[in-house]
Amino acid sequence: MPKCTINGKEVEVKEGTSIIEAMQQSGDRIAHYCWHPGLSVAGVCRLCMVEIEGNPRVQIACNTMVTEGMKINNTSEKVRDAVKWGLDFHLINHPLDCPICDQAGECGLQDQYMEYGKYDPEMAEAKVKKHKVVDLGPTVVLDSERCILCSRCVRFTEEVSKTNELGIFNRGDRSEIGTHEGVELNNKYSLNTVDICPVGALTSKDFRFRQRVWYLKDAETVCNGCSNGCNVKVYFNKEGFFRVKPVYNEKVNGYWMCDEGRDIYKFVNKETRLLKAQVRNASGWTEMAGGAAAKNAHEVLKNTSGDSLALVLTAQYTVEEFDAIVSTFVNEFKTKKVFFWINNKETFDSFDGLLLRGDKNPNTKGLLKVLEKHGITATWADLTQGLGNGSIKTVVVAGPENQAVFPDLQERVKELSKAQNLIWLQAGKDDALMSLTGNVWLIPTKTFVEKDGTFINHAGLEQKFKKVTTIVSEALTLTEAALLLAGKNLTIPTATAQPFMPMNQREDQVTLEARKKNEFVFRRGSL
Amino acid sequence: MSVMQNNSEKAKWYLPGVLGGLGITMKHLLVNLLNRKKMMTLNYPEEKYEYSPRFKGNHVLTVKKDGSLRCTACMLCATNCPAECIKIVAAEHNDPHVEKFPISYEIDILRCVFCGYCEEACPVDAIRLGPEWQTPGVNGANFIYDINHLAYRPNLKGGIQTHVDDEERLKSGI
Repeated sequence: MPKCTINGKEVEVKEGTSIIEAMQQSGDRIAHYCWHPGLSVAGVCRLCMVEIEGNPRVQIACNTMVTEGMKINNTSEKVRDAVKWGLDFHLINHPLDCPICDQAGECGLQDQYMEYGKYDPEMAEAKVKKHKVVDLGPTVVLDSERCILCSRCVRFTEEVSKTNELGIFNRGDRSEIGTHEGVELNNKYSLNTVDICPVGALTSKDFRFRQRVWYLKDAETVCNGCSNGCNVKVYFNKEGFFRVKPVYNEKVNGYWMCDEGRDIYKFVNKETRLLKAQVRNASGWTEMAGGAAAKNAHEVLKNTSGDSLALVLTAQYTVEEFDAIVSTFVNEFKTKKVFFWINNKETFDSFDGLLLRGDKNPNTKGLLKVLEKHGITATWADLTQGLGNGSIKTVVVAGPENQAVFPDLQERVKELSKAQNLIWLQAGKDDALMSLTGNVWLIPTKTFVEKDGTFINHAGLEQKFKKVTTIVSEALTLTEAALLLAGKNLTIPTATAQPFMPMNQREDQVTLEARKKNEFVFRRGSL
Repeated sequence: MSVMQNNSEKAKWYLPGVLGGLGITMKHLLVNLLNRKKMMTLNYPEEKYEYSPRFKGNHVLTVKKDGSLRCTACMLCATNCPAECIKIVAAEHNDPHVEKFPISYEIDILRCVFCGYCEEACPVDAIRLGPEWQTPGVNGANFIYDINHLAYRPNLKGGIQTHVDDEERLKSGI
C-alpha cells in the first residue's frame, strides 16, 4: 500500500494504482479526455499533466503508477500552462458548433476550456474540414470535425463490446474516426460510445436535437428492461422523459448498459399511457378516475370472491406491490389462484456474456419470492382450465408495463377475455384491451419511475429505487389498487417527523432562522 | 408629500392666468395654421412616426442568402429569455452543413418584455428586435408569432439577411 502526497494531501492507495485514479480517490480535479475508468489507458490526449517532485518535466497521470512517497501536484503554474497549450492543440481544428452540437452543456471541451483555457487563439491557418454528418449505424451519428481523437469509442468496441467496428484512419490532422470497410456500428451496446464521447462527435440518433441537456433534470433509478437490473439515470423535464444513461455499479453493470435498456423511457411517457380508467359494461365504455374504477370493481370482486376469482401477475412490478396484492387476494378474497404470466420462457436463462439477459422482466425473482411466501403453487394450465369450464368468473390482471417485451399480449388478452369480469391494471394504452367486450375495467397503473420500490435481479440482488416524478396523476400503484379493490380507502401518509416549528412558539411566529431554511436556493446546472 | 398652498391676496386673481394660457393656445393655433408643415402632431394611422433604428420593437428572424432561416435552434434565446416566451422545436436538416434548424419558432408576444436578451444571447445573429412597434391583434392567437410572421411578414420584404452566411463561414475556415 504505497502512500503518496497529492496537492499536499496524503493519500494511501492500492498497489498498481495510477496517479489519475489516486486523484479520483482523493477528490482532486484533473483535466482528462481519453482516460476512462472502464477502459484501458491510451495516453493520447496529454491533458492529465501532473508535476512530480524530483522530475523536471510534467508527466501524464493516467499512465504513471503511484510509488511510495511520491509527491504530486497538478495545481502549479507549470501544469496549468501545459494543460492550457495542450487544449489549444486540441481546439485547432475543432469547429465552433456549440449551437448545433448536442453535447453543449455537458461537453468536456467546454468545461476544460473554462477551467484551463481562455487564451487568445494564435492559429492563422484555416481549420481542416472533415466529414460532417456521418451515419455510423442504426443508432449513432458521427461528426468527425468535432472529434478530438481520444479513441475512447475505439477502445470500447475493442475491449467491452468486442465487436471492433471502429478505428482511427489517416494520419496527422487528417485522422478521423470511422467504421471499417463494409461494417457499420451495429451492436447491442453501441450507444455507450455516445456516453463516453467527451465531445459531441458521436451523438445518439434517438436523442439528437430533441432537447438541450440543460433543460433536463436527472434522477437515478433501476432499469426495468431486463432481469439484470442495471443502475441508470433517467433524464426528464415537464414534457416527459428523453433519455437513459448508465450509472456506475460494480456489482451489476459496471459503467455500461445496453441499447435495449435505453428505450425504457418510451413506455413511460404520457402519449403511450392510459390516462384515465375505462370501465365497460353492457352499455359501453365509461371514463372514470383510476381510484373510482377500482372502487367500482370492488362491487364485483365482493360477490365473486373465493374460488371463482383469479389473479394474473406479470413480473414487472415491485416486490412491495406484489406482496400487497397477493396478500389481499389470499387474506381478503380467500383465493390462492394467483398465476405468473411468463412472457418468453424459452429465453429466460439466455445471457449474452456482458449485460443483456433473456428474461425481460426486472423482478421475476421478486415475484417468485412473494408467491413462495404465500404458498402459491397454481400453474397457468389451471387458469386455462378454469376459464374453459367457467369456474373462474373474475380475473384481475396486473399487465405488463413494458408491452414491447410481451409478444404474446394479444393472445393472452383473448384468452383472459373468456372471464365474465376482467379487471385489467395496465400502465400503457393497448388496442386489444380497448376492443374487448363484456365487463371490463381498465385501471391505469404507475410505471417504475413513479413509485418507490424494490426489484430483485437475476442474481437475487435487491435494489431499492426512489420515485422520480409523476406523469399520470390518476394512476395507481398495485398497492393502492389492492386496497381499493378490497373495498378499503387510501390513507394519505402523514409526516411523523419533528414539527418544523419549535413547541414554545406562537404558530404564526416565524423566526429568522426558520426563514433561512425556507429560502429558495437558485442553482443553475453544474457548468 | 408636502402640499404647498399659496394663500396670498395675489393668488386670488385667476383671470391673468386663464388669459395667459389662452394666449399660448392662440399662438400655437396661428403658427400651425400659417405653416402647417411644421405641425407637431401626426395624423395617425395615416401618418406614422419612425423611431431610431436602435428602438427595440417586434422581433425579426433573419434569413440566409437563399432565404432559409439563419436560426440553428440552439435554444440560447429561449434559455436567456426572462419572460419564457420563446418556444422552439428543433429538427434535423437534410443539408449536412446546416444540420439543425427550427421547424417551429414561436414567441408569445404578450409575455415578451422586449428586453433584447434574446438578441444578446444569439450566437449567429438570427434574432433581432426590429423597429416596428405596432402590435395590434384581435384575439390571443394573433399574439403568438410563428416563423412565418417572424421571418417573412410582408413588411420585411422577403426577409432580412444576416452578414455572415454558412457558406462564407465554411469557405473562410471558421
